[in-house]
Amino acid sequence: MAVATLAAVVVALPFVAGNYLIRLASFAMMYSVLALSWNFIGGLAGYPSFATAAFFGLGAYAGAIAQGHDVPIVLAWLAAGALAAIFAGGLGLALLHLRGHYFAIASLVVGEVLREIANTSTQLTGGGMGLNLPILRLGVTAQARLFYFVLAGLAALTLAASLLVDRHRLGVGLRAIQQNEDAASMVGIDATRYKTIAFVLSAAFVGAAGAAYASWVNYIEPADVFDVLLSVKPIVMVLLGGAGTMLGPVVGAMVFLALEELVWRNFLTIHAGLLGLIIVALIFFLPRGLLALDVRLLALNVRRRFARGRPA
Amino acid sequence: MATVLVWALALAVVLSGVAPTLPGPAAAADKALRVGAPLPLTGPLSPEGLKQKRGYDLWVAEVNKAGGIKVGGDRYKVEMVYNDYQSNTPRAVQLAEKLISDDKVNFLFSPFGSGATKAASGVSEKYGIPTIAATASSEEVYNQGYKYLFGTFTPNATLTEPLADIVKGKVGDVKKVAILARNDLFPLAIGQEMEKSAKKRGLEVVFFEKYAIGTLDHASAITQIRAARPQWIFATGYINDLILIRKQMADLGVSAAVVTMIAGPAYKEFAEATGPRAENVTSAAWWHPAVRYKGPDVFGTTENYNKLYQAVYGAVPDYVEASASACGVILQLAIEKAGTMDPRKVRDALASLDATTFFGPVRFGPTGQIVSLEPPVFQIQGGKPVVIYPVAVKQSDLRIGVK
Amino acid sequence: MTLFLQVLANGLVLGGLYACIAAGFSLVWGVLNVINILHGSFIVLGAYVAYFAYVALGIHPFVSVVLAGGVLFVLGYLLQTGVINRVVGAPVLTTLILTFGLDLLLNNAMLVAFKADYRKINLANPLGVVDLGGVFLPLDRVAAMALALLLTGGLYWLLNASRVGRAIVAVRMDREAALLMGVDVPRIYAVTFGLGAVMAGAAGSLLALIFPISPLAGTLYLGKAFVVCVLGGLGSVTGAIVGGLALGVVESFSALVFGPEHALTVSFALLVMLLVVRPTGIVGRRGYE
Repeated sequence: MAVATLAAVVVALPFVAGNYLIRLASFAMMYSVLALSWNFIGGLAGYPSFATAAFFGLGAYAGAIAQGHDVPIVLAWLAAGALAAIFAGGLGLALLHLRGHYFAIASLVVGEVLREIANTSTQLTGGGMGLNLPILRLGVTAQARLFYFVLAGLAALTLAASLLVDRHRLGVGLRAIQQNEDAASMVGIDATRYKTIAFVLSAAFVGAAGAAYASWVNYIEPADVFDVLLSVKPIVMVLLGGAGTMLGPVVGAMVFLALEELVWRNFLTIHAGLLGLIIVALIFFLPRGLLALDVRLLALNVRRRFARGRPA
Repeated sequence: MATVLVWALALAVVLSGVAPTLPGPAAAADKALRVGAPLPLTGPLSPEGLKQKRGYDLWVAEVNKAGGIKVGGDRYKVEMVYNDYQSNTPRAVQLAEKLISDDKVNFLFSPFGSGATKAASGVSEKYGIPTIAATASSEEVYNQGYKYLFGTFTPNATLTEPLADIVKGKVGDVKKVAILARNDLFPLAIGQEMEKSAKKRGLEVVFFEKYAIGTLDHASAITQIRAARPQWIFATGYINDLILIRKQMADLGVSAAVVTMIAGPAYKEFAEATGPRAENVTSAAWWHPAVRYKGPDVFGTTENYNKLYQAVYGAVPDYVEASASACGVILQLAIEKAGTMDPRKVRDALASLDATTFFGPVRFGPTGQIVSLEPPVFQIQGGKPVVIYPVAVKQSDLRIGVK
Repeated sequence: MTLFLQVLANGLVLGGLYACIAAGFSLVWGVLNVINILHGSFIVLGAYVAYFAYVALGIHPFVSVVLAGGVLFVLGYLLQTGVINRVVGAPVLTTLILTFGLDLLLNNAMLVAFKADYRKINLANPLGVVDLGGVFLPLDRVAAMALALLLTGGLYWLLNASRVGRAIVAVRMDREAALLMGVDVPRIYAVTFGLGAVMAGAAGSLLALIFPISPLAGTLYLGKAFVVCVLGGLGSVTGAIVGGLALGVVESFSALVFGPEHALTVSFALLVMLLVVRPTGIVGRRGYE
């Protein structure tokens, strides 16, 4: 019942809202894809991946270059997603044996390396001068609606994939790996294979989203599509909503973006600092995210945090 | 139960964040013309964003003091609508859309720099809103065939060509040029133009390398330049890069007959941060307070502009501030010429504009980029930028030798 | 040959500075297992202390090292006891995101207080350059590097010779055992974090003479600190020195061989390769990964 109303709101939105709101909602959908994708490797398997930006940027450039060679737009998006997936597969081989901080850093640096490669391969990517994409011959509102639905569709697909994984042996296996990887191996879970699949899943939809984003904005630069915030924000969103839950990433994405918009509109010079404050508060008072929220437990937590020195 | 609470919370947050976008009560009776300007008021580009804002504000103050812009038989006061895109290009694009579709601005002034201008121009093109760019010079910005984008900076070659002429003419034994460019739209583009200008005059480009954004150390590049022994060194980047490069050149004992840097020496911050080593560094820009133009715009003459700027801000204006004011002046002239605020007609008026302003003569080419300026070349002498070209406004001659 | 020597000299001098930037970061990571995203901003804050001390009071940046160190120690200690101590045992992600959020706060505060304009200290009597047979050595860089190595050496001495230092090493090796031996672990954590901040502030003060100062430079320094730590190995001062020098030399030569635009790519690629092949770094020991 709740699902039906939600679906109705999502579908009806672009027909009742102004263009700017549609744009905001489209971003919400895009970040939902990123957050849901991160959940596979970060929330379920417990590997703190910062590679989201790398996959996004890779997808954006793949899509843009494909479109530049007259590949039809939807095909370009699909190809970008596939490329990101394949890349993640290969990358996983190299990185997934690392744990904790090292995995985090390595995945972060991959994005940096790709960004620098994009910056220097001027022939292919336009280098520091960016890459143009063809404008669609559509009216402004029609385009806004089109991209909204594309991104919403992608979000729905990613959500569906999450739900599937959750019910499947893969989901169970990943959670086991997060609890104790060695023990999981001992009970017969092929940790390497499962982790790699999770990593690939965390890349495929993100790559497609990157390509769709490129088509949407018509001009991309390495610094924008490989921005480290594209890796950090989805993580904060998932933590906000509840890591490992299925709807948490979506809830987290919506709430975070709403907060960000609120803060940015009203506090011109200190919005970055306020965002930082929100993040710190999140870590302290909502360690398991919004969906695990129990108001009484929250009050208890707050009191405990302010008690003398004991880490909770 | 908790989930319901959460959804309610989320919904409430979203709605409260969105509420400001709902249309408020109708504005006051005074007729107003709204111009949107997304600017980097925070983040790495904030110094430049604030310069642009100062330029716009000065124009608005003057034009409103004179009663507003004449549109047909009416007078409209100008209202600027500013938004901060935090030096983040995708946000600039987002804001351009917000300003047009939500805040319903009549016209748009571009964000700072070639990259963001290019990115945001797609939006104004889609909506058909005339947009004037105060700080975009690279031809790549204007190469998408857009009709609604106009820019107040001439193409990069108009800076490098006169520079090359002067150096070739005054420095007899110049044969070799070294170019070090930041790997970013504008700095790289102008580096490439320099290469062309140099080669055209038979100079040998013995070194042309790019450095990544965020490079902390240029020693290797500068060491290689030293080994090549050029007579002319050309470095591009933003002010922090150039401050560092100049210092490291001194650290490594590199000297040359001519050292040109774009774009930093125009700002007083460059001379302040570089100290005595700034002496004799040359540069070029699209405007300099020493030029002298007279026109029908609200400032009248360059001297008057400088005087007004000095009175309000207590400092001499540089080319970014002047260019921003120029955007306002140009928009005003076009609207007055068209006699209406209709975007299509104003766009056509802009495209066919031919006027002189305090900023210089204004005529746009087919891509929307201005083609009529004669950018001054200047050199830091006695700690201040001094014009050495064009001859009409020259204050001094080129001094050779940078240690 | 001169070219080779000059590039090598450039790399070594730069490397010394890198070592100083990374030493505090490595210490905090190795002992508390916390990646301190604030480190870059600490360095910048130290640089500002030195800048204002010079502009307002004429204090030479090399002397301000003490001042900057002091200010940062207090800040770091307070931050640790008040905030970070509560997440010391938490998963990697939590500490990372927390320090990221704190860094946003600090950075914004500095932006509001100091503005984004780049500033630089220009000494009235600059140290100049020395020419060793065609190889130029800028004396201010060399002096900064020497001081940096001195400071790092001081840290090393502190860790090995003082009671507090031994306690820190003990906590790093085995927290439980240290607790059992009566070490006040939370206080040691606070001191360690404070020390890390001191190194950062001191580095900032030294760097104020060499690089333009702005809150925007923080991330660049942090990035270098990361690479140095992985290269050299975590938690040890020797690791920071080795890693720093190695990075400086690698960057210097790759700019020569591949071109300056690729220098960053090469160091990052090297980092990834090292992480894959030998995550403990050149000098580090197993058990930290």
